[in-house]
Amino acid sequence: MRPAAVLGIILLILFGLNTGFWWYTFRQADRYENQLEAYRISVASLGLTDLCIATEARYTRHPAVSDYLSPFMDHPGAVEHFPTGTFWQAPPYLQRTGEQQ
Amino acid sequence: MKVLLEKHLNILDFALSTIWRRKQKNISIFVVFSAVIFLLASFQMLTRSLTSLAQDTLKETPEILVQKLSAGRQTGLPVVYSDGLTGIFGIKKVVPRIWGYYFSEVTGANLTVMGLDFSEMPMADQIDLTLEEGRYPEKGEAGVVVGRQVEEVLQLGGRTTISLFRPDLSLKGFTVTGRFADEASLLTGDLLVTGLKEARDLFALPRDQVTDLCVYVANPREISTIAAKISDIFPDTRVLTRSQILKTYQVVFNWRSGFGSICLLTALAAFIIMAWDKASGMSAEERKEMGILKVLGWETSDLMALRFWEGVVVSVLAFITGCTLAFIHIVFFQAALFRPVLLGWSVIQPPLQLLPEFSLADLLLIFSVTVLPYLAATVIPAWRCASVPSDTALQG
Amino acid sequence: MLIELRAVTKIYNRDRPNEVVALKEVDLAIEEGAMFCLRGPSGSGKSTLLAIIGCIFPPTKGRAMIAGKQLARLPDRFLTLHRRRAIGFIFQQFNILPKLSVIENAALPLLPLGVSPRSRREKADRLLEQLGIIHRRDFPAEQISGGELQRLAIARALINDQPIILADEPTAHLDSRLSLDFMEIMSGLKEAGKTIVITSHDPLVADHPAIDRIVEVYDGEIHVF
Repeated sequence: MRPAAVLGIILLILFGLNTGFWWYTFRQADRYENQLEAYRISVASLGLTDLCIATEARYTRHPAVSDYLSPFMDHPGAVEHFPTGTFWQAPPYLQRTGEQQ
Repeated sequence: MKVLLEKHLNILDFALSTIWRRKQKNISIFVVFSAVIFLLASFQMLTRSLTSLAQDTLKETPEILVQKLSAGRQTGLPVVYSDGLTGIFGIKKVVPRIWGYYFSEVTGANLTVMGLDFSEMPMADQIDLTLEEGRYPEKGEAGVVVGRQVEEVLQLGGRTTISLFRPDLSLKGFTVTGRFADEASLLTGDLLVTGLKEARDLFALPRDQVTDLCVYVANPREISTIAAKISDIFPDTRVLTRSQILKTYQVVFNWRSGFGSICLLTALAAFIIMAWDKASGMSAEERKEMGILKVLGWETSDLMALRFWEGVVVSVLAFITGCTLAFIHIVFFQAALFRPVLLGWSVIQPPLQLLPEFSLADLLLIFSVTVLPYLAATVIPAWRCASVPSDTALQG
Repeated sequence: MLIELRAVTKIYNRDRPNEVVALKEVDLAIEEGAMFCLRGPSGSGKSTLLAIIGCIFPPTKGRAMIAGKQLARLPDRFLTLHRRRAIGFIFQQFNILPKLSVIENAALPLLPLGVSPRSRREKADRLLEQLGIIHRRDFPAEQISGGELQRLAIARALINDQPIILADEPTAHLDSRLSLDFMEIMSGLKEAGKTIVITSHDPLVADHPAIDRIVEVYDGEIHVF
């Protein structure tokens, strides 16, 4: 078999695979529509304002009900949210006490 | 025509055998190339899916939210404010609500507690559809509906009672009356929903206070007018409209995907430098080979076609492979690689059951920032090199 | 005349300080089916003459008719097209691509002609058979011996059934036995009607009975014996 034919077969396999995926997505779309309906009902009946992504910091979980100071109002044990909190270090005097201990 | 086709098939054959002869170089390019496309496509697919999901579902969010500000931060809002609002023409309904966060020190999870009068909400007749099992608590009952992830984090198992700490560390007991539906975990996973009175008791809020008011209007076109009126009447409040929330949400998402994109752009830049170096640098051996082919009667255009096919095979295969892997990553592995970026170090991590959003524009964008530069990097030097005089092969 | 040069002059780097006149007003005629040997020290213009006969570049001045086409009039692209129809090359170091198999090497000139894999294989098989290296057909070229390499180079030069064979110092890296072998094959081709031009210092080539004429190239001028 000539190399171009081998390439053709590989492409065909990849193409078939992707068509399969596309078909899968297409079929999922129905189920997804139901899910979306469940989402809409949840949002409406509970008055939600956002998705439950990044729950550990209120300023990312509920942008609509947080304010500028909320990052500092979380529980001290709560781990900071990445990447929101990665741009600032703790103030130098705190770092120094840390070393002494 | 047939000859032209056969000619290009022949050149393609030869290009493939050339690729195979330089396996090491080409496979390494292929792997890196696929990885870059995989990352770009995954990220694009994920953020697009999430954004469109948010845009779709949050259309039902309360039309106006009223919060009270004091010293620049949000504080409790006296319930009497809602009486003041009912006087505004056009307002259909005002629902007072208590929101709060409950940090579970044992597990490190941040839970969201919400207290409201369910029967007042829109779609109240369908509210039971949001539950997987059980029911919403009756008025006056110390019941709570928990999200799927809350149940897991608190390790409820079959238990139907939970105790949460009040601010003074006394315990407040709840009966679990229901659990939210699995498929809506992305919205309700971290929620504990109870009645207004119970939430107030848990957080030890003053009797006359709530966190915010959800305001529903009769005519959606009047939202901004009514919002303006509210802030006129109560200057100490912050009034948020639905469109503002949607906008904020999009900004937050854009911000995060922008952050991710910047990381990926560096990868892309590194890749382009590598590809340029690998693809455009023609070794002495390759130059000689081209010289030989030219003397054997290959035209400049044939040589360029040869390099073009080499580039096309590597880059298009890598493109398709990368996109296919991205799909598998997003759909079957729930974007496992990007969860840390998107979900942070959250203890509560709802499953990202997403319908992948294909957008031709995304694919074209990725194609044009990866495949096209690569092709340019392979063909342009060949064009320069194919004009080497054919007598270089003579007196070799 | 298959090859006819009239007052051919070739100047490199014309009108520049490093201008070199490689050929001066050369006249040469080679009839079909003849075998010529070009001889001369390096820098004599021998390679330039071979390159003009081989349609690699046109002369600066003069008329060069090669297999019925006048070179000076052809643009570069047609020079290539004409070359692959008319000329088969055998190079000093054979210029075989070492990683390709013997048959792939032999069929290289056919690829851009749009010849199908099947007829490519048939043509190459026939030539490899004739030249006695069919048993090496699928070996990588880097694994075959010097003599076989040389035969492969000949096969490649003949694959397109070109009327003219040009060999550039073909015996420079061969021992005398292989050189004689080579000349035997060449005389066989001559009998089959090919026109052959060989550049060589090698007395084994120049003195071979099949050689019709010897062309001495010296300082850009030629003398035909």
